Amino acid sequence: MYWEQSLETMERRELERHQLRLANASLSAARRSPHYAQVLAGFPERGLVSLAGLDELPFTGKAELRAGFPYGFLAVGLEEVVRLHSSSGTTGNPTVVYHTRGDIAEWENLIARCMYSTGVRKKDVFQNMMGYGLFTGGLGFHYGAERLGVLTIPIGPGNSRRQIWFLQHLGTTVIHILPSYALHLAGYFPELGIDPRRDLKLRIAFIGAEPHSEAVRRKIEEIYGIKVYNSYGLSEMCGPGVAFECLLQNGLHLWEDHFYPEIIDPVSGKVLPEGEEGELVLTTLKREAMPLIRYRTGDLTRLLPGPCPCGRTHRRIERIKGRSDDMLIINGVNLFPIQIEKTLMAIPAIGRNYLIEIHKDAYMDRLEVKVEINEEVFRGTLAELEKLQARVVAELRAELGVTPVVRLVEPSSLPVSEGKAKRVYDLRGGGA
Amino acid sequence: MSVQLAVFLENRPGKLEAITKALAEAGVNIRGISMASEGEFGVLKILADDPEKAFRVLKEHHYTVSRRTVEIALIDDRPGGLHDLLAALSARDINIEDCYGIALEEGRRAAIVLDVEAFPEAEAVLKQRGVRLLGDRELGTI
Repeated sequence: MYWEQSLETMERRELERHQLRLANASLSAARRSPHYAQVLAGFPERGLVSLAGLDELPFTGKAELRAGFPYGFLAVGLEEVVRLHSSSGTTGNPTVVYHTRGDIAEWENLIARCMYSTGVRKKDVFQNMMGYGLFTGGLGFHYGAERLGVLTIPIGPGNSRRQIWFLQHLGTTVIHILPSYALHLAGYFPELGIDPRRDLKLRIAFIGAEPHSEAVRRKIEEIYGIKVYNSYGLSEMCGPGVAFECLLQNGLHLWEDHFYPEIIDPVSGKVLPEGEEGELVLTTLKREAMPLIRYRTGDLTRLLPGPCPCGRTHRRIERIKGRSDDMLIINGVNLFPIQIEKTLMAIPAIGRNYLIEIHKDAYMDRLEVKVEINEEVFRGTLAELEKLQARVVAELRAELGVTPVVRLVEPSSLPVSEGKAKRVYDLRGGGA
Repeated sequence: MSVQLAVFLENRPGKLEAITKALAEAGVNIRGISMASEGEFGVLKILADDPEKAFRVLKEHHYTVSRRTVEIALIDDRPGGLHDLLAALSARDINIEDCYGIALEEGRRAAIVLDVEAFPEAEAVLKQRGVRLLGDRELGTI
């Protein structure tokens, strides 16, 4: 059940002492990078006496990482570095993250720990449908699965018919996939005459890299007849493997022997009491090439109170609610795209894909939601479509407090990228 | 009774043409067609000589399509022919969801396609009155 029992179930007080030791070592290591040598110069070098003392240190954000491009955050010599990953930023310098051989080994081990905790074993067949390359999703899981000893198929994303052919003919039991792609892929089964519940040996899927609702997870579980586990990570920490769901699927254990979490108010920057929702801030405890102190992830969540019945003592974060920077303001009302997804997924006559557009008409914002209809339940009358459209408007209005324009569109007419799905298009211009 | 295909369509240029192209390329003959539209979207109804094949072709092209059972009744070629037929249905309180006419035998004869919820009752009423109902096979040959 545990990959590393003594670490995963370490008694809380001991775990905190362990974290303090590691945090001080990480601070010393960070000072060897040009960025932190400067930023931490005014802070005494003797180290923290308690983890709470971290809150006196400055945050690190994406802007600092960009400004430090290319080598400003590197805390070791280039001869120690063996790999670089980069996150999917689209503006300005990319954010690059470096790994030593030791970092890669720790990361592999964390992924193995995650996979093992959900019941993946050596005899499984693992099809990795995440992108390989600069993105951490593919390579991170690839080496983690190999570390665990699982047959790993490095197929990457896309080419849906081939994916299904592999699933079927190799008897794949475990997949790693973007939630949006899992739903997209499901659209191919009917024409191939395959019932995934009956014809595949699949039993576990890991999903991550995109915020998604609980309803989407349940939908994937139902379509494929499998258990789906939430995976959380970001390239700045290593990639996937930062936090992971155990068999109970109730929050994600954040591996506290590698990362120290704080939840802050995204506006004031103040640390919030445990259990309150805010922005997740992480300090790396074991990273060698690029230690990060109080890194603002931009992800909104909270630390769940109380221990988990699985026996792991590492605290759990709730599924990511959204990003502090993806909040939409529509005519003064704050809302998150995930609220729209949650509402749509609860309506059976709505299909798998949707798109959110925000337009500006004169001075008013217009929220437009394009949804596919579910062909399974389409009976062929105009009246049912009109009723469905009205229902979607009413339910979104109730959830959001904003009245959207809802457009019914044909299936497969919405663009589905086989990478991260872009579902929100703000067309207001002018940074409104 | 016959099978009519109902296809969900966005109301935009080229949408209808894409469907007729798909069916033409598959060698499906369209015997009747009608469109109910709400403005932004609509439902296209198609009577095909081979409804199963047409259904398969449209599915392969990723259309949202459903099969609905309809009655196709031959109309007596005289004044009041259509009226008598509809009066018989309304006398039994049978509501017609949708209907449209189609021409047969190069326009010499006509039939009406009736989409009703109370399907078995409607069929019974029409048969009782001696109305000739066309099946899928006859539609393909007339």
